[in-house]
Formats: sequence, structure tokens, C-alpha cells
Amino acid sequence: MLAFWHRYKRNRSAVFGLVVIVLVVLMAATADFLYPFDPFRLAGKPLSAPGTNGFLLGSDSLGRDVAAGIVHGAKTSLLIGLIATLVAVFIGILFGALSGYYGGQLDNMLMRITEIFQTIPSFIFAILLVAILKPSIYSVVIAISVVSWPGVARLVRGEFLSLKSREFVQACHTLGMSDLRIMLREILPNCLSPIIVIGSLMVATAILIESGLSFLGLGDPNIMSWGFQIGAGRTMLRSAWWVCTFPGVAILITVLAINLVGEGLNDALNPRLRERN
Amino acid sequence: MSFIIANHLTRQYDLSDPWIVRMLTSNKRKQLTAVDDVSFSIDKGTTYALVGESGSGKSTIAKMVVGLLAPSAGAITFDGKMINDETISKADRQRLRRRIQMVFQSPYASLNPRWAVGDILKEPIRAFGLFDSRADQDKRVNELLDQVGLSARDANKYPHEFSGGQRQRISIARALSSQPDVIICDEPTSALDVSVQAQVLNLLKTLQKEFSLTYLFISHDLAVVSTMANKIGVLNEGKLVEEAVPSQLFAKPENPYTKMLIDAVPDFGKV
Repeated sequence: MLAFWHRYKRNRSAVFGLVVIVLVVLMAATADFLYPFDPFRLAGKPLSAPGTNGFLLGSDSLGRDVAAGIVHGAKTSLLIGLIATLVAVFIGILFGALSGYYGGQLDNMLMRITEIFQTIPSFIFAILLVAILKPSIYSVVIAISVVSWPGVARLVRGEFLSLKSREFVQACHTLGMSDLRIMLREILPNCLSPIIVIGSLMVATAILIESGLSFLGLGDPNIMSWGFQIGAGRTMLRSAWWVCTFPGVAILITVLAINLVGEGLNDALNPRLRERN
Repeated sequence: MSFIIANHLTRQYDLSDPWIVRMLTSNKRKQLTAVDDVSFSIDKGTTYALVGESGSGKSTIAKMVVGLLAPSAGAITFDGKMINDETISKADRQRLRRRIQMVFQSPYASLNPRWAVGDILKEPIRAFGLFDSRADQDKRVNELLDQVGLSARDANKYPHEFSGGQRQRISIARALSSQPDVIICDEPTSALDVSVQAQVLNLLKTLQKEFSLTYLFISHDLAVVSTMANKIGVLNEGKLVEEAVPSQLFAKPENPYTKMLIDAVPDFGKV
């Protein structure tokens, strides 16, 4: 663990990303403490510029506090990003593991299903799913997971394919281990690193998709989110720049930080690339 | 009484292009025959060696005997029972598995890097239900480590903390762990230094005497084989071309391919 941290620490930008993520998480965790009121509440004079009328980052056309929205929106973004990724990784591992381990007809069938999902443009597919399921936080999570699992399935399948022919896995067969136990205890732990890396990058993509959906008005109407704020402020971009800009910067910084962390994890977990620099 | 009998063993690999490509290019199906009608038998407590160069089908035979691969044709009989019979029950198959173990070629690839040695050795005990209590399992692990010349303290270490020779000892201990009758050794020393090779071979011999084990020894190294085997079978391109006891094989090889193999062994007495 300590050795892992040492390798991770070598990548300066990854450490920076980690710091930013910790700050965003802290912000989300203390949202109810920093801004105890509903972020949708009319808090003062509409379209106040940042720093005026007691608004740190200004207010939008309905007098909602932009800063409160950002802080509460952080909760939404992180939660949706994390849960959607976990669900997608789970489905991906399930498909990839069965496909790579058993091969043959099952592999053929599962991979054709995966390809069907891969050929549909992911964002448009997500829009379609949310539109069918009615916008809510659950449908957004479902839509994001459904469009992002095929990548994981492909990756896991490849890892399983290469690991199942390794001698220590072959040995397990002669030692009488069951297929399930071989998959879970022998192969899966040996392909966790790439899964962790792709998972961390998927959180960033999930946050982007969620923001995109909310921007289009397909997010949960009762939950504040960065995408929704940008959507609400886009018509006033020239007269009240702060309404869109600050949530946009929040998305940019968070997604960038998660990508940097993913990169850092990749360097630290992947022994073959470790000595790259 | 023959303990293991391989009867007209054949294994083919399908190297055909995918169906759609075959349709478009009108290519025929391609089959590679890795093992071609091989028959041999091994007596209990003896060592049978299969020699041949890379690609001669040695490892394919090993995998079929241990049950990792199904033969395309022919059958293997072990202690009077057909191993590759489709009809035998799962429990019977598990029972047969316990009695036939394998030591792999590469000590670096055959141990899961994420498991401690003790857990690696305990897994077969658990899978075959040999000892139920933890204390008995731990005792058995210590016993196994002792039998292969390692210490009980090594149970908590991970494979990467050991040298190649030590890892191969762990591999052997793992094979012994299920108390087998037969161990298939697939080039167990080819990845080791010459000095370590001798130690591992001696260990295998000692264990054979102690537990009256039957070995199927796969190798390309005639020098190694001559010290181990009671009987040698020479494989060339999937066919068994000659079978003899070592002294006879080295004194007057009958097949030209065997002669070539023997001539290829460096003989430092002549230099």
C-alpha cells in the first residue's frame, strides 16, 4: 500500500487531481451545513452579480443562489457518477467474465449483445432511455450505466481470455476448484487494476453525461445539478455570465481532476508502464 | 498391472478461418493434428518419460491425461477407469482429479501472485475436502512444506519472495497436497538453473519412493530423462516413434529421429 502511494505520488498532476476531488467531496458532504436551505429557494434579488446582495457567485433569473446550487449540485454529480459507474462495472464484469472464461457460443452471443450497445451513440441512447423512463434520479443512473458498461465488458473479457490460459489458472482446474471460485478468486483479483482505472475514468464520463442530460432538462427536476444550472442560465449568457460560468467551471475542474487521478492510478497500478518516465 | 493406459490418443486443433471467411474464400477447414494415435502404458510407481522437441505434442498429452483437454479420439484409462468418459458423474470426476496432479513448466506462471503460499497449498485440501478443521489444514501445510524442503514459516510468504527452484518446490507441494497417485511433470526443470535442476529432480525421486508415486515426465532434455525414467517414449510430430528403457534407447536407438535427439545432447567428455 505504501509502495503504491509512492508510485502514485511521483505523478504530480495526479496528486493535484486527488486534492481537487477531496475538496469537491468535502464540499458535497458539507452542502447542508454551508447552505442549509433548499437551493431552489428564492434567496434574493434576481440576476445579482457575484459579490452583490450577499451572493458569493451571484443569483440567477429566479433569484436562486448560484453558489448554493454548485455546492448541492456537487452531491448530485458525485453520487450519480459513482453509482452509475458501480452498476456499469458490475454488469461489465458479469458479461466480460462469462464471455472470456467460457468462450465459444456464449462468448459469441454476449459479445454480439455488447456490440449492439456499442453501436448506438451513447449520449443519444441515454437521452432516449431517460425520455422513456421519465426523468428521475433513478432513470438517469440507469441510462448512464446502460450506455457505459460495454467498455468494461470488453476489457474484462480480454483480461479473462489471457489469464485463463495462464498456468496458475490451469493448475486450479487440476486442483478441483469450481469455475465460479476460479473466476472470483484467481482471475478477477489479477485483473482488478485495469478495472479500477477504467472505472475511475468512467466516473468522469458519467458526470459529463449527467450534466448533459440535466442541461437538456432531462435530469431529475427536484434535484439541483450543475447541468441544470447551466441550462437555466444559457439564455442570459451575455447579460448574466455568472449563472452558466461557475457551474461550468465546476464540471470542468471535477472531470479534469478525476481524469488526472485515473491517469495516476494507471501509472501506479500498471507495472508494465511504471518505468515509462 | 498397468496403472495408466493411453489408447490410440488423438487430439486435433481446429485452425479454420471463421465460417463467413470460409464461405467467401472457399477455403477448406484446417485441422492440426497435435497428437496422432499415441498409445502407451505406465506401471504403478514407475516413471514414464515423453521426449520430443517443441511442438511434438508432449504437453497436449500431459493436458489430456490430467483432464484439462479432451481427446478428439482414443481414451485414457486410469486404475481401470476411463478418465475422459463423458458419462461419469461430477463427483467421480472430482475423485479422479484428486488422484492425478500436475507440476507445470514455469514456476513463475504457475503460482497465483496474489495468494500466500499457505493458501495456495490449502486450496486443494479445501476443494477435495481432505481436512475439515483449520488446525489440521495448517498442520498439513507445514508437513507439505517440510516434505519439499521448505520451512513452515514460508506459508505466509508470497510467491514473488522465492527463487525459481523454491517456487517449483511449492508447485510440487501443491501437487502433493491432494495426496495423488500420479503426478504429471510438464518440463518441471526446463525453466531452472542446471544446479537447481538436479535438486528438484532428486526431490521428485525421493517423493516417488516415499509415496510410491507414478510419474508421467514430459521433457525435451534427454540428460534429465535418462536419470528419471524407467521407460522413455519418443514423440515426433505427434506420433510415438520409439519406446524403450533408457539404457537400450541410448545404446542403440532404432529410429533416426531418436538418434538425432541423442546426438544433439552436448557431450562434454568428448570436447
